[in-house]
Amino acid sequence: MYQKGVFLRQPLWKQRSAYHSYEHPESPPFPPAESAILSASLSHVPDHGFTSTALKLGARDAGYPDVSTNLLPRGVYDLVNYHLVTQRLALRDALQFPSDAENGKPIGVGSKVRALTLARLRANAPIVHRWQEALAIMAQPGYVPASLAELARLADEIWFLAGDTSVDMSWYTKRATLSAVYSASEVFMTQDTSADFVDTERFLDARLADLTKVGGLIGALGEWVGYTGHSVVNVLRSKGVRI
Amino acid sequence: MPSLIQSARCIVSRSQLCPSQLPILDFLAPSALSIRQPSRLHSTIPPSAEPSNPPSRQNAEKSNKPPRRPLTEAQKDFLDSALRVNQAGELAATLIYTAQTPPIVRAHPHLRPLMKHMYDQEAGHFDYFNKLLAKHRVRPTAMYPIWQAAATALGWGTAIMGREAAMACTEAVETEIGEHYNEQLRVLLDWAEKLEKSGEGVSEEFAVLIKELRRIRDEELEHLDHAVEHDAKEAKPYELLTNVIRGGCRTAIWISERV
Ligand SMILES: [Fe+2]
Ligand SMILES: [Fe+2]
Repeated sequence: MYQKGVFLRQPLWKQRSAYHSYEHPESPPFPPAESAILSASLSHVPDHGFTSTALKLGARDAGYPDVSTNLLPRGVYDLVNYHLVTQRLALRDALQFPSDAENGKPIGVGSKVRALTLARLRANAPIVHRWQEALAIMAQPGYVPASLAELARLADEIWFLAGDTSVDMSWYTKRATLSAVYSASEVFMTQDTSADFVDTERFLDARLADLTKVGGLIGALGEWVGYTGHSVVNVLRSKGVRI
Repeated sequence: MPSLIQSARCIVSRSQLCPSQLPILDFLAPSALSIRQPSRLHSTIPPSAEPSNPPSRQNAEKSNKPPRRPLTEAQKDFLDSALRVNQAGELAATLIYTAQTPPIVRAHPHLRPLMKHMYDQEAGHFDYFNKLLAKHRVRPTAMYPIWQAAATALGWGTAIMGREAAMACTEAVETEIGEHYNEQLRVLLDWAEKLEKSGEGVSEEFAVLIKELRRIRDEELEHLDHAVEHDAKEAKPYELLTNVIRGGCRTAIWISERV
């Protein structure tokens, strides 16, 4: 029921939440004890980093004896993952886009993607001086698949909240490219000393601009695949070949 | 279980094989039982015009029902692959008809309205599942471009073999698709029954999905009837053609459910 075990058993492309229901509630992402310990531990991250010290202090704060960190088989990675998951889910309420009518004109999906990506980056601000530690933990070979899967979920969340409804091959390219842009910006942000992270914002905008160029390329590539694939017959027909 | 599968086959091919077993289908498919008109060329019923069938879900809104529980992982997985494979199938169907139409209509101009009618219904199905995937956050199949290519090749290939082969293609595809939709309906109806029994009630989401799957399934079976009426069985070599196509459909379904 909880997502943890899923990481180990399933191939990468299956590690996404399947079928989102509007009437059946979602299971909570973490069991209560785990949630209590990890959220308390997070408040120690600014001082102690993503370390077992933060976990021990958090367990104590939450009223669990030190030993109950055994609940967390992945140790500090569980702490990093808790931050990733809770901040991803927090995006749902982080931004309220005005409706098209209120705004006078529709807000494009692209602008929404930018706003959501920026909001997610800003959620790292309180712990950004510790984030390189977290990135190092995520890069450990055993945690790479889970980290990538969580990144894919974040990209999916952003496109979904932005109101994107494409369900063809662009579904994959959109998520892959946004994942790349987000990761690059996140790393950039750990070295950003500008006020209010304006440099990170600029960096993000530049990457998104790249994306529209690359996006053109990917689009063209997609067309080429489509051309050589399903539309050969139609293209020939449009050229007057009677087939 | 075997008898259920049997009954599904019966729905699909009842006009040929087993009309006498129709009552078995009661629980499965009220809408299949109301005998379909041989041709509904002028009556594409908009989904909203259909009566909504499970009245129980209105009761479910009443106060003293237990709160709705989360779907299990197995249920989510089922819905995830079911919707994905349905979208892939309807994508393929629209492309098969798109590819078949010009050669067929050129040789047999009187088939133009039929081909257009079947295409329009497939386009409606495809649109329905596209919307459902986006709404319920189900990813499309990663094999998307492959199915595009394969469906076009199949449609065009059978069309140039002639009208009978094209109709045999429709017959084979719709036989598989009809069974496939029936298998999904069986699972969903089983869940619906359990939700009713537990007092939770069937969610609007499921009730609508069941209703729409039945409608779409019925339209696929209508295509099957049209194909048989238009001499699908005269295709040569009929057995080889339909077996190859049906095998291909099953493989494509198996892959799309997973990838
Ligand atoms: Fe269809
Ligand atoms: Fe069909």
